[in-house]
Amino acid sequence: MSAQASNSLTRWLRDPNPASRRQARLGQAWMGWLRMRRNPLAMIGLSITVLLLLVAAFAPWLAPHDPITQSLPNRLMPPLSPGHLMGTDDFGRDILSRIIYGSRITLTIIVLFTLTAPVFGLLVGTVAGYFGGWTDEILMRITDIFLAFPKLILALALVSVLGPGFQNAVLAIAITSWSPYARVARAETLTVRNSDYIASIRLQGASSLRIILGHVIPMCLPSVIIRATLDMAGVILIAAGLGFLGLGVQPPMPEWGQMISAGRKYLFEQWWVATMPGLAIFVVSLGFNLLGDGLRDVLDPRSAGK
Amino acid sequence: MALIEIDDLSVTFHAKGREVRAVQNVSLSVGAQESYGLVGESGSGKSTILRAICGLAPVSGGTIRIGGQPIDSPRGAAFSRQVQMVFQDPYASLHPRHTIDRTLSEPLAIHGIADADARVKRALSDVGLPPGFRFRFPHQLSGGQRQRVAIARALMLEPSILLLDEPTSALDASVQAETLNLLNRLRAERGLTFLMVSHDLAVIDHMCDRVLVMQHGRAVEELERAALATAEMKTDYARSLFAASADRMLEG
Repeated sequence: MSAQASNSLTRWLRDPNPASRRQARLGQAWMGWLRMRRNPLAMIGLSITVLLLLVAAFAPWLAPHDPITQSLPNRLMPPLSPGHLMGTDDFGRDILSRIIYGSRITLTIIVLFTLTAPVFGLLVGTVAGYFGGWTDEILMRITDIFLAFPKLILALALVSVLGPGFQNAVLAIAITSWSPYARVARAETLTVRNSDYIASIRLQGASSLRIILGHVIPMCLPSVIIRATLDMAGVILIAAGLGFLGLGVQPPMPEWGQMISAGRKYLFEQWWVATMPGLAIFVVSLGFNLLGDGLRDVLDPRSAGK
Repeated sequence: MALIEIDDLSVTFHAKGREVRAVQNVSLSVGAQESYGLVGESGSGKSTILRAICGLAPVSGGTIRIGGQPIDSPRGAAFSRQVQMVFQDPYASLHPRHTIDRTLSEPLAIHGIADADARVKRALSDVGLPPGFRFRFPHQLSGGQRQRVAIARALMLEPSILLLDEPTSALDASVQAETLNLLNRLRAERGLTFLMVSHDLAVIDHMCDRVLVMQHGRAVEELERAALATAEMKTDYARSLFAASADRMLEG
């Protein structure tokens, strides 16, 4: 594409008086992107997330070794050994390859989690806050019950009932962690419920469903997104904990948290076995936190300026 | 026949075991295409009457009839197409995350009215806003422009009755006059019926054919416009209210 064409595309996107709905929406997306680009921390978060996606997508091509094949002569080799950049673990498996393959599992956990817990919590919270009265009482008492349980214990109980496995572990995590989202969403809903713009849309004959989905939820989204990105690190760790107890991702699948658990035994002599996956979790959690913070700014049209 | 008939209306709020009787036994009737004003100090129950008509306040006694029919509770789709309201504060009455386009096309989507694109454009030009404002957000508009959007939204469903809750009290004087003139023009063009609340007799004098003076949730006195002009009030309260805003009425 020539410079001239890209120039006119930019001008079309930046048009302050867009002619069509599509142009307006694309223009808003473009302005959001520009806003995000001005925020270096958000860009770091975005790069880490994109990197995670790419690594997960191209794992078979990137990994130098098979992540599961054991090779006992090569066990516990230190980082920077020939052929093993991050060293090997107690079964002689290449840690770098396991981290690369493990990104797929981490990504799946994160995606499944974000599609369940925040969405469910958001719905419960907005419905409770919008309707008030008995609906609010019942939904919030249920939320309190889930809040009162220790997360890991409840997840353990659920997994023992559902049977061990990867999906069940994520489901258990989601069931134990939706309640804070419901609380946050309800609090936000209470502040907008009696506002004039909600009264006016009600006066226009909108159904409660339409009001909640189209008018209340957009106001709750930013705080829920922040909360979700802050929870990411915890979710990866709880998944690891369940794996450690034999109830989550089963060995020999390369899951980061489980790799840390396995390296625990060698922490003093062979520090890299636990540290390398720990670094991976650290970098990915940091990436999500930074991205979440940047997204909040982009999602708020008021921060766009005039 | 009167278009809006309110008979012996009472509104009581219950808060923490306390009863607040915001409106007590108020009756009024507004003819078709008439402009009727409700005036009184803060807390006199005038806005509560509008909210009671819309089903936003708890009616504890009396009846409200629109076009001779008692209105359904909860208010149905037919009510939305007949009665709409413009709120006092244009900073609070537009959804902060929706574009003007979304705000204006939402009522059309709810009622399944086709041709939203053309209608939104027409609505903007009817209230004197340039078409380029269509995809802006409320925070990019001034107070007067926002109130124009709120008026356009109220008219999207082509109602016959417009309830105006101090539509200009949040605006400064010059914008106030523009907005009132816009409302008067729209009323003349579309044959609208206004029920308008204000604490400002100057605004009421500019807009209304008849006015009901309220105090402490009760009706004090109903006045014709002519009586307002010649200051023929029967009660002391109406006279003191008139005296408070008389100097500005003469200017206008």
